Amino acid sequence: MIREAVVQALRLLWAHRMRSLLTTFGLVWGTASVIFLVGWGEGARLTMEDGFFRAGRNMGEVWAGKVGEDFSPAVDRRFLWFGMQDVEALRQRARLPDLVGAEAWEMLPATFGQRALNLDVRGMDPEAVAIRGVGVTAGRTLSAADVQRRRRVALLGEKARRRLLGPEGRLGDRIRIAGKPFEVIGFLEPVGTQLSRDRMEIDDQVWVPITTVQLNWPSWWTDDAVVTKVIYRIPDPRLLDASKLEVRAILADQLGVDSDDTEAVGIWSALDRLNQLPTQQSRGMLFILAATTLLVGGIGVLNMMLDAVHERRPEIGVRLAVGARRRDIIAQFFVETATICGLGGIVGAILGVGACLLLAHLPMPDLVPIPVLRPGIVVTALVVLAVVGVASGVVPAWRAARVDPALTLRMD
Amino acid sequence: MTSPAARTAAPVIDLEGLHKSYDTGGAQVHALRGIDLRIDRGELVSVMGPSGSGKTTLMEIVGCLSEPTQGRFLLNGRDVRGIEPDALAAVRGEEIGFVFQSFNLLPRLSVAENVELPLSYRGVSRRERRERALEALARVGLAHRGRHRPSEISGGERQRAAVARALVNEPSLLLADEPTGNLDTATGDEILALLFATHAEGNTVVIVTHDPHIGKRAPRRLTLRDGLLDGDGSP
Repeated sequence: MIREAVVQALRLLWAHRMRSLLTTFGLVWGTASVIFLVGWGEGARLTMEDGFFRAGRNMGEVWAGKVGEDFSPAVDRRFLWFGMQDVEALRQRARLPDLVGAEAWEMLPATFGQRALNLDVRGMDPEAVAIRGVGVTAGRTLSAADVQRRRRVALLGEKARRRLLGPEGRLGDRIRIAGKPFEVIGFLEPVGTQLSRDRMEIDDQVWVPITTVQLNWPSWWTDDAVVTKVIYRIPDPRLLDASKLEVRAILADQLGVDSDDTEAVGIWSALDRLNQLPTQQSRGMLFILAATTLLVGGIGVLNMMLDAVHERRPEIGVRLAVGARRRDIIAQFFVETATICGLGGIVGAILGVGACLLLAHLPMPDLVPIPVLRPGIVVTALVVLAVVGVASGVVPAWRAARVDPALTLRMD
Repeated sequence: MTSPAARTAAPVIDLEGLHKSYDTGGAQVHALRGIDLRIDRGELVSVMGPSGSGKTTLMEIVGCLSEPTQGRFLLNGRDVRGIEPDALAAVRGEEIGFVFQSFNLLPRLSVAENVELPLSYRGVSRRERRERALEALARVGLAHRGRHRPSEISGGERQRAAVARALVNEPSLLLADEPTGNLDTATGDEILALLFATHAEGNTVVIVTHDPHIGKRAPRRLTLRDGLLDGDGSP
């Protein structure tokens, strides 16, 4: 029976080729839209995440400010700073972060041969390098020994390398930073545009051992080895809020300030910004938009099938006369609608998947979202299609089953 | 299903005080106004009467396509009033074969598929369906036309195919509603000969017709007038 109904549906489609083409176009377009737009929404989310995480994934950034107004008389708002002992304390006591790193920054003039420019020089410890998650394209990264021995070695960011060394620059070149010679030991891999950054982008930075910065350019207000920023990584983004409380409590304790003083110990994370973005809502909107297109396609099919039922009343009468039960007629028209929807869905899915694949293979500028193909998205599209198909199949099938055979076969 | 014993014992059609009225926009139309009729197995009966006399309504009720408003209708001894629509469909499929004036073959199916149709609703396997359809087509002399579409064969051939479809289930009753109405005289005679031959094989055949020529040839002729049986006897 089902086979016959499918064959019947295909014959019907073929018999009215133009009408079928126009009708199923809505389904094809709708299915392709769901796959493409939902995939694109997902791609946009991933692009955002990528852009925000380029300077470190699941990272918290901590800096010392000054004692907050609410926690001290206005005349005594001390300036605060972190030292290596604070970073050590955090490493010892904090349980939520899986890695804690320290950075000490300076903007310093760098020279190589005839070239000179101001660079964002970052003293890093190996943990900070690991948290930033930027690898090297050539040479090696900073080691614990570099930090321990305060070596004058430098890793150059993509753009810093091009601007300072030029095309002829290579590993082992000697550059000068604020007059002091440094050996280039590695080149950082290109990071690209960052949606979240502090001072310069990583591509414009020079990374050196943190102890080297602290030794060569000590701060003028203290003998401590100053840490500009403490960074830490959490294993799960959901731990962010809890980790902020924990980290602030420990560092506030170290600095002798109140653990609620967010001005004294400031913590920021790209995760906050990312979570504020309406990515979920935009994905929802895109889905509704695409699903509505599919719904409109379903209305087209509904219309065509209602037409078909009307045209084929004599046929329904004959079938009922030769022994078809109402449920046979319902099944027949239902399967016919399902076949039409199935065909539209298959063609639409191929189109949608094809469009996603095509865009993924076209050269695109940095941070332009590319639709993501996931089996779940295709399944979602087909589920929506199935709902639309069932909805547009019910009414015609029900109408068909209500045809009065005596009336349609009457000849008087 | 009726048992073979009941089939032989009971009349194929047994009507008593049969009424049918329609409600057409507030006005009651009394199509049948008390029909008593008995048709035995193996009879060939023509039903005649002017337009509006109730012939078609009678055929619809006898063919289990609609229900009487009042009265008794036994088909092969079984009261079919109040049977569920789906069960009634099964009765139609098993007991009754229809031949219509305008053939009513489904245009998108081949001739053989049209003949198979009643079997497909009885859960007969595809292979057996095909075999029985070809057998039925052979009986009406159309074995070579099975693969054609209805639009590719002549009017007479279409009606033969319709007769084959009506016979494929080996029904206890063959109902023909103006079977020659859309055919020229020669072709009509062929179809008539086919129906008479079917009767000669032992089938019960009821032919509704305007054509006095058919009425004269049938062994028993019923005449309807204004929803009542006006005549019953041999012509």
